[in-house]
Amino acid sequence: MLSAERLVGGYGGADILKGVSVRLDPGEIVVIVGPNGAGKSTVMKAVFGLVTLREGTVTFDGAEISGLPTEQRVRRGLAYVPQERNVFVTLSVHENLEMGGFVRKTIPQAVFDRIYALFPVLAEKRKQPAGELSGGQRQMLAVGRALMVEPKVLLLDEPTAGLSPRAMDEIFACIKAINAQGVGILMVEQNARQALGLAHRGYVLATGENRYTDTGAALLANREVAESFLGGGH
Amino acid sequence: MIEFINNYVIPGLVLGSIYALGAIGVSMIYSILRFAHFAHGDLMTLGAYIAFAVVVAFGWPPVAAMPLALVGTVAASLAIDRYAYKPFRKSRPIVVVIASFGVALMIRAAIMLIWGVQPEPYVEGINPPLESFEPFRIQEKHIVIVVVTVVLVTALHLLLTRTKIGKAMRAMSDDADLARVTGIGTERVIAWTWVVGAVLAAAAGILTGIDTLLKPYMGWDLLLPIFAAAILGGLGRPYGAILGGLVLGVIQELSSYPLLSDEPFISPGYKIGIAFAILVVMLIWRPQGLLRGRVL
Repeated sequence: MLSAERLVGGYGGADILKGVSVRLDPGEIVVIVGPNGAGKSTVMKAVFGLVTLREGTVTFDGAEISGLPTEQRVRRGLAYVPQERNVFVTLSVHENLEMGGFVRKTIPQAVFDRIYALFPVLAEKRKQPAGELSGGQRQMLAVGRALMVEPKVLLLDEPTAGLSPRAMDEIFACIKAINAQGVGILMVEQNARQALGLAHRGYVLATGENRYTDTGAALLANREVAESFLGGGH
Repeated sequence: MIEFINNYVIPGLVLGSIYALGAIGVSMIYSILRFAHFAHGDLMTLGAYIAFAVVVAFGWPPVAAMPLALVGTVAASLAIDRYAYKPFRKSRPIVVVIASFGVALMIRAAIMLIWGVQPEPYVEGINPPLESFEPFRIQEKHIVIVVVTVVLVTALHLLLTRTKIGKAMRAMSDDADLARVTGIGTERVIAWTWVVGAVLAAAAGILTGIDTLLKPYMGWDLLLPIFAAAILGGLGRPYGAILGGLVLGVIQELSSYPLLSDEPFISPGYKIGIAFAILVVMLIWRPQGLLRGRVL
């Protein structure tokens, strides 16, 4: 479905990615974890075309997309939720969703209905400026905005960063629900244990390279991974 | 009180309308394209002179010449963006600012070559008498200025709140990077920003010409108060720019009110200094402007 092979590159200075590969099969939840500076977010950005790649290829749905502008990637069914500043604060909740569907000629009402059903709190606040939402609600709106193109794959960059434990649980539950509708999810998470618990597969990155790759459960059970990357053993 | 309104408030609102039209464009261009557009005043002048050409060629009144002049100015602004600004889209903002400075000089020089340097009125003859709305006295041209401004601002409001491209303009002015990752066609939004900016600038230029005279420096001279109005209202906030323009226009007129004696409080010769003072005060104490815009 989505595959990034041996990515090398960064933001113009030194390479942050030094040959990372990640793959997402249809319908999977794949989680990327690792210490700060491992290049987790950079991988996501590279997949979405926001990083200058010196080497490596990104293929999506059977075609290479490495050179495509982001707008084209969105049209092909790839949607990305940045970690911060991921809603238009002066636009209303509903307008944010409309902008999410910008690449579509017309947006069927059913798409709005499905997102409001997934996030009932957004339906209540549809006319409010997004800047007035709480952190968890903003994150929901950011995810909802990305879902407006009915993507095949959703890229989530630390969707629970800075949220309360309760809001975190809500977001994880939503991610599971979205995946149950057939959307592949590739996400970076600080909160590695909970995310790996949810994931079909996981990647542990360190210093811009792949370190461990396995199923979510196997990574959680792996003592080395637990000690070095998940903050202490069981 | 009535005298006060007739002599200070009404002229202030008329002047403020013109400032507002220019300031909206400056504010939106700043927040969407991320640079201070120094050629905006000269775009106003260009619009005013294209209308002059239409008036001379067809003998139409200036207001009737407006649609053609707006279209001409939009075309010019899109061409300018394509050839003078687009090559610098990824450069640092200061590079584009300097480019716009060059464009300003080029537009002005072209106008001087084509139409000469002498001030010209749209229509020869004496001013029509004051219209009387007892007890208010308003000149007909001032009614035209305010009405045209209200029509354009209403159209802008509908564009920004009811159309997809208008909402995308607000989105991109909110956060251009997020707009890009959302899949919003940013070049299309930029093109529409020029359409809006050029229409309002050309209208402001024509209205200035109707109010006074056409001069090659008319737009350049308005640039400082227009930037002051945009910053006063909050950069990136179109409604702020309208508010900033009106407030600045009224304050400038009020500054010469004989507050303490029979003499004007501040000599009318310093009117332009008021805009500068407001600009400085805002940048020091409230750089985000009245409506919480971007910080310069």
